[in-house]
Amino acid sequence: MERIEVGKELVRKLVDGTISDQDVLRLQNSYKDDDRFNKYVEVLQERVKWKDRILMRISDNVYIVQKEKSGEIISKCTCGHDFFDYRTNWKLGCLINVRKTLKEMSEVYSPEPACPEPEWQEIREFYCPDCGAQLAVEVLPPGYPVMFEFLADIPGFYREYLGTPLTPEKKYECQDKSLELTKTWGKEI
Amino acid sequence: MQTTEILSRKASLRELVAARDKLTEKTGRYFGLERLRAREEDPIKFERFYSEIHNLVLRARESARFVAASPGGREMGESLWSICTPEGDTLANSLGFLTHMVAYKQCIKYMAEAGFEDNPGIRDGDIFATDDGAIGGAPHPGDTYSYMPIFVEDEIVGWAAAVNHVMEAGAPVAGSWPGFSVDTTMDGLVFPPMKVGENRTPATWWNQLWMSRTRAGIFNVLDDKMRLAGNVIIVDGIRKIVADYGLDYYRRAIREIIEFSRRVIQDNIKITTVPGIFSGASFRVVKYKGLSKLWPHADKDYMLASNMTVKFGTDQKITGDFTGTSRWDYCAFNGYPSGADIGFQLPIAFNYLHNTYVTSAILCDFKSRYPKGSTYNPDTNFAAYSNIWAQSIAMSASHWNCHSRSMFARGFLEESFTVDGVWGGVQGGGRLDDGQSYGFTNFEMVGGVAQGAFPFKDGIPIAYALWTQLTNIGNVEEWEFLIPPMFYLGRTLVADYCGHGKFRGGVGLSSVHLILEPGKDLYMSRGGSGGSQTTHVALGQSGGYPTPGTIYTAIRNSNLLEKVQQGMPYPRSMVECLDYLKEKKFEAEDVQVFKYDPPQLEMKHGDIFSDCAGGSGGWGDPLERNPQLVIADLNDGWVTERLANSCYGVVAKKVVQGADTIYVLDEAGTSARRTEIRAQRLACLTVKDWWKQERLRVKNKQLIEPVAYTLQSSFETETGPEYKKMFIDFWQLDDNFEF
Repeated sequence: MERIEVGKELVRKLVDGTISDQDVLRLQNSYKDDDRFNKYVEVLQERVKWKDRILMRISDNVYIVQKEKSGEIISKCTCGHDFFDYRTNWKLGCLINVRKTLKEMSEVYSPEPACPEPEWQEIREFYCPDCGAQLAVEVLPPGYPVMFEFLADIPGFYREYLGTPLTPEKKYECQDKSLELTKTWGKEI
Repeated sequence: MQTTEILSRKASLRELVAARDKLTEKTGRYFGLERLRAREEDPIKFERFYSEIHNLVLRARESARFVAASPGGREMGESLWSICTPEGDTLANSLGFLTHMVAYKQCIKYMAEAGFEDNPGIRDGDIFATDDGAIGGAPHPGDTYSYMPIFVEDEIVGWAAAVNHVMEAGAPVAGSWPGFSVDTTMDGLVFPPMKVGENRTPATWWNQLWMSRTRAGIFNVLDDKMRLAGNVIIVDGIRKIVADYGLDYYRRAIREIIEFSRRVIQDNIKITTVPGIFSGASFRVVKYKGLSKLWPHADKDYMLASNMTVKFGTDQKITGDFTGTSRWDYCAFNGYPSGADIGFQLPIAFNYLHNTYVTSAILCDFKSRYPKGSTYNPDTNFAAYSNIWAQSIAMSASHWNCHSRSMFARGFLEESFTVDGVWGGVQGGGRLDDGQSYGFTNFEMVGGVAQGAFPFKDGIPIAYALWTQLTNIGNVEEWEFLIPPMFYLGRTLVADYCGHGKFRGGVGLSSVHLILEPGKDLYMSRGGSGGSQTTHVALGQSGGYPTPGTIYTAIRNSNLLEKVQQGMPYPRSMVECLDYLKEKKFEAEDVQVFKYDPPQLEMKHGDIFSDCAGGSGGWGDPLERNPQLVIADLNDGWVTERLANSCYGVVAKKVVQGADTIYVLDEAGTSARRTEIRAQRLACLTVKDWWKQERLRVKNKQLIEPVAYTLQSSFETETGPEYKKMFIDFWQLDDNFEF
C-alpha cells in the first residue's frame, strides 16, 4: 500500500472516463486521498452550466444542489432541470417508459429468452423531462412502488464527515418525504 | 465482569461467550477493549504474531486442498479455513469465501451455550461438524463445516474451522442445491453441530453416513478429510505460537486483533462513504405448480421478494432492514439468519476489511434485521433451506450496489461498480451401466461470472465472483473427467447477454453439454440464482440495466449426435443450438427453454443440456455510450447489430477491408436514430400520470396471481404491516386493502 498524489486532473480523468487502467489500479491499491470529495465536487461544478452549488452527485446525471437564490436543497439533472426537495424521490418528477411486452423488452435485453417475463416483471425507465437522459432503470413486478435508491444524509455528511455544517441544517434533516407527494396526487383524484 | 479479569485466566466457553457479548454491547468495543495494550507496547511483535496466525490458515488451505477430489475444493474458491477465538470470532482466513466466518460464530456460540463442554464433552483431538441452518449457522446443507478445538494443556484457546461446498447433498433432487424442497426433511443430509470424530480421526460411522446418504459419498468423504487436514495444521500451528508467545499474551492479543480491525473498518467507512438511506430489491421465482400432487401446500407459482432498506449512520454503523421481504414458504430457497448474513456481510467484508486483519469484526457494527416469519428468518425450524443462495446472492448484490452508490457519491469511482452477476451450477445424479450410483455438481458457473460496469469502463467476462476472491470456472477437461456423461461441445461467451448502459456489464457464458453414455439413467437439474423471468437485481445503476437472469435449454430426442458425427460443426452455445434448430440443421422432438429452474429432467445419450449464465450489469444511459465503443463491440462480437440499434441508437455499416468485412460507424444514421429515441423518451407520460393509471390497476387487483401472492406475502411477516402501510400510502389505497 502506498500513499499517492491524486491531483484534480486525475479525478477529472476518472469522471470523464479517460483514466488509464494502470491509474485505476494505482488508485485502488493506495490509501485514499482525504480531500477526494472536494476535488470531485470542484471538477463537477466546473462541468455544469448552472450556478447552483453542488452538494453531492448521487447518480451519473442527478445532483443534490443548494439553490443559488433560495438556498433550498433540491435534486437536479445535469441539464439544469430542477426536481423536488432532495428528500422527495426525484424519480417521481421524471417521465417514465414501461416496457411490458417481450417485443418492448427485447429492445434492451437479448437474446430473447434473456428478457424478463411479461406480467411477472416490467422494465421502468425514468427520463429527465427536459433533456430525456435515462436517469434510472427499475425492473420490478407490476404494482410495486417506485423505489427511492438513495436518500443522502446531506446535513449529517457535511456536519460529521466534512466538518462544515450546512445552514440551515435542521430545516433539511434527512427523512423520506416521498409519500407526501403521492398523498397530494391522491387528493387530486 | 472486567475484560482484564476474564482474559487473564482459564474460563469456560459459556463464560467467554457471555463475557464477549455483554462487554461488547455495553461498551461498543469488542470485548470491552478500550486500550490495545499488547499492540501499543510492541507493535512489531503484534504484527509478527498476526503474520504467524495468518500464515497458518493460508498454509492450511494450500496443503489440504489437494486431499479433495472435487475441483470445488481443490482449485476454486468454494472453501475456507480459519482460526477462531474460543468464543467463535475469526482471527484470520485462508483464501476462499470468507464471510462464512459468520456461521462459525453462530455454531460455536451454540455449542458453548448448549453445554457441549459437559455433553458430549470437548477434548483435544475432537472433530465437530454441522450443515444445519437454524442452529449451526450454515446457509444450506451443501456447505459443510468442520471444527477442531485447540487445547493448550486443558484450556481451549481457540478453534480451527473449515468449510467447503460439497458435491452432493443427499436430497430427493440430486446435486448440492436441490431446487425442489417442501420443508427441511427434503433438504438432504442435515445434521446439527455434533461430534463426528475423536483423536483426529473421523468416526467410522461418520464416513459411512456420507457413503449411505449422499450420491457422491467418495467425494464428500474426501472433502471431509480435506477440511480435517487443514484444521490439524491450524491446531498444531497455534499450539506452537502459544508456546512461543506465552498464553497470557495470546489471550490478550487475539481479542485486540479483532478490536483493532473493528476500528479500522469504521475508519474505512468514514473515509470512503456517504451516510444516508439506500434501498434495493430482488425477486426469486418459485415455479412449483404442477410438479407434485403430494404436497398441495407447495403446489404454486410465486416469487420470493428480498426488499431492503440499508441505513448508513453518521456513526459508521450500518443496518439492513428487510421489511417488505416475503414470508418463508414451502420451497427450497428459504434460509436462516446466519446463512442470510453470510450474503449480507459480503459487501462489508470486501469493501472495508482492508489495511487491516481480515476478521469477524464486521459483525460488531453491521447488523441485519430480518423480520420474523420472513424467508430469511422463518418462525419455524422446519422451513426448507436447500438453497438460500438462490436468492441471497442477489440480496447481497443489491446490498453491495448500495455501497457502490455511496462510494460514487463520495467520489471514489474506482471502487464503485455494478455488482451483479448471475450464477448457476448444473447438477444431477444417476446410475452407471455397472449399477454404480453417483451424483454431481458442475461448479463452472459458480466459479466465475462477469464483473459489472464501472462508471468509467465496461465490465469484464468471467472475471469476478462476489462471494470469493478465487475466480475460476474450472477446466472443461476436469469436469468431463469427473462427470463423464457430460461432454462439452462448446463453451463460449454470448453476445448481448449482459446489462447494457453507457458502460455495459461483462457478457455471460454458455456451455453446451452433450450427454454421452449415461448408463442406466441420468437426471439433471440446476441450482443457482434466478432464471431470466426476473433480472438478477431490481435496480440498475445510474440509468444502466441490471443483468438478465440465467437461461437453460434441454434438447432431447434429437439427431444432433448423428449430424455431428457426419461432420456438422458443433453448436458452441445455447444461442447457436437454438439457431441451428430454427435453420433446421438438426431436429429434435423435445426442446425446452427455461427462464426458471428446470425440474429434474431425464437425459439420455445424445441429449443436450445447455445454459447461459454469468452476465453482469451496466452503468449509465446507453444513449451516452460512445458510438465507437459500440462499433468495437460489434466487431468483437460482444453485441449484435440489432441491439446496437435498438438499445444504443447506433447505426453501423459494413465495409470490406482486405479479406474481412468490418463494421464502421454510420454517423448520420446514428445521429438521426439517437434523436429519434430521445424524442420518443420526451413524449412519454409523466410519472404522476403513470401513477394515476397504475393505481387503478393495483386498486382493482389487476395483477397476475403470482405477483399478487408475492405482494400479499410481503405484508405477512412480523414487520409486514409497516410495508403494507407504505404500499397503501404510495398508491393512496384504502387502509383495509388486501390482495
